[in-house]
Amino acid sequence: MSLLEVINLMVFYENAVAINNVNLSCGKGLITGVFGANSAGKTTLMFTVSGMILDTARKEKMRGGIRITVMGDILFEGRSIMDVEPSRRAHLGIVLCPERRRIFKESTVIENLKIGGIIATKAQARTTLEYVFRIFPALVKLRKREAGFLSGGEQQMLAIGRALMAQPKFLLLDEPLLGLSPVMEEILINAISDVRRAIGLTTMISEQYARPVFPIIDYGYVLENGGVVVEGPAHDLMENPDVKSAYFGLQEE
Amino acid sequence: MSAQERRKKRLDRSVKVRSEGLYSLSSWREMAYLLAPRLLLIGGLLAAPFVLDLYWQKVLCAAGIIAVLAMGFDFLAAYVGLVCLGGAMFIGFGGYAAGLLNAKLGLPPVLTIPLAAVIGACLSTVILMPCLRLRGVYFAIVTFMLPLFATHIIIALELFGSTEGITGLDILANHWWEQYVIVISLLAALFGLRRLVTEDVGLIMMGIKDNDQAVLAAGISIFRYRVLAVFIAALAGCFVGAYQAHLYGWLGLSLFAMDFSILPIAATVMGGMGTLSGPVIGALILTPLSEALRGFGQLRVVLYCLILLLFILYKPEGLMNYLERKYHQFERWEKV
Repeated sequence: MSLLEVINLMVFYENAVAINNVNLSCGKGLITGVFGANSAGKTTLMFTVSGMILDTARKEKMRGGIRITVMGDILFEGRSIMDVEPSRRAHLGIVLCPERRRIFKESTVIENLKIGGIIATKAQARTTLEYVFRIFPALVKLRKREAGFLSGGEQQMLAIGRALMAQPKFLLLDEPLLGLSPVMEEILINAISDVRRAIGLTTMISEQYARPVFPIIDYGYVLENGGVVVEGPAHDLMENPDVKSAYFGLQEE
Repeated sequence: MSAQERRKKRLDRSVKVRSEGLYSLSSWREMAYLLAPRLLLIGGLLAAPFVLDLYWQKVLCAAGIIAVLAMGFDFLAAYVGLVCLGGAMFIGFGGYAAGLLNAKLGLPPVLTIPLAAVIGACLSTVILMPCLRLRGVYFAIVTFMLPLFATHIIIALELFGSTEGITGLDILANHWWEQYVIVISLLAALFGLRRLVTEDVGLIMMGIKDNDQAVLAAGISIFRYRVLAVFIAALAGCFVGAYQAHLYGWLGLSLFAMDFSILPIAATVMGGMGTLSGPVIGALILTPLSEALRGFGQLRVVLYCLILLLFILYKPEGLMNYLERKYHQFERWEKV
């Protein structure tokens, strides 16, 4: 039984197709990987599932800018959420950890986490806060530090922590490894798989470069120009020669 | 889901595509397409003094003043990223400078108006200089405060006729002068600013609005360009301020009235931010509208606010953005 199902999704930015007839489903308790180069439509997919695109569309309309059209259907726990506001989707449990982190720069680490946990109950927030500090021990020392002055890796930990504070049932991680060192990548990947083990959280991760994420995903999709070109269980994808050369940096001999 | 299988597609009109760049000179049709809206505005403004009666001619002058201020506001807000509520300050400085030059030194309006524009603009720029590092709402607050500040200094120190003001300034020669000075300076400011924002200077200013650190990294002094931008906007504002002093032959504290800070913003909202011509159209609609509503007595302000509110709710992009899109593009349903 899949937690989230995307059916024939199409997203247009004015006349340009950003997402072209995408079908995907994310199984409960699994980590789904979405891979693709720039302009493949990963971020748009994340924005559409989390509902942020509704907000962008509204702002563009107010500005007289481009028109964003979304078609198709997204089912969450079997119910269509196409018309659900982004804030309501967060209440339903769909939480986005956006690309480039977007933390609250002028708040401290602990304040960032508290803001993330506003929709949680007090008890939930307390346990999750402890849990976040357990998987990211580096944040403990920095709790009073202003978030804008953290390093890239620390900010990414904070962003994931903040997303976890909202008690997600379905976590969207948009390029969580963007611009991070291999060591930091490993810390984050370990944390993400720890989350899955500990609370069985369903996750969707998008990345350009698949190798660091690959060990922890269960099912993967490869996007190209807005459409799914290859999909399959992790090990099947690994075998695929095209995927290998394009997203793992391995050359076929 | 039959409704979802169709999508409205927006496409540029072929004549728009053809009239981009040098190819616009290829035929009369393309040239007419480009010139028609511009000529409509220019021709309309130039012809207005002939068709309006005396009362509406005065309204045209008042509308022109607001239009120039609105353009300055739009230029600073949408192209430089400085939200400037200093319309009243510009009008006040320009008006007082022109009035004093005229009353104390006896210079004729033909000299005082340009002189006062430069003096007022220099003064405004120097006063605003320390605030240029502030951004967003802080700059807005400072510019909003300064006219109040000036008013109270004038009252407290009993300068320049204090609350009475100075009456009996020279007025412009006749009503043709009155109207054509404002109409022509309005058009000059409009087309001048539109050119400026497409030049290198304008690109840098837009860059400053977008990402000031990136502009710094390119080795450009942000401060200098902000000073320049404020000076340009202040020059236009002080010019109309000086003009206003000679239009009514009078200077006084009402030159620092908040109306001159607020009405341009309303005009910009109505006309569309970032279009420069939008604020002009907004001012040319709003000022006569508020006159036309005089018949409603006290309800006038309510109706005025209501119209603005409806605009913000239903056409937040502004008139000009909307018209521009309708002019350049067409829509059709398309099967997905």
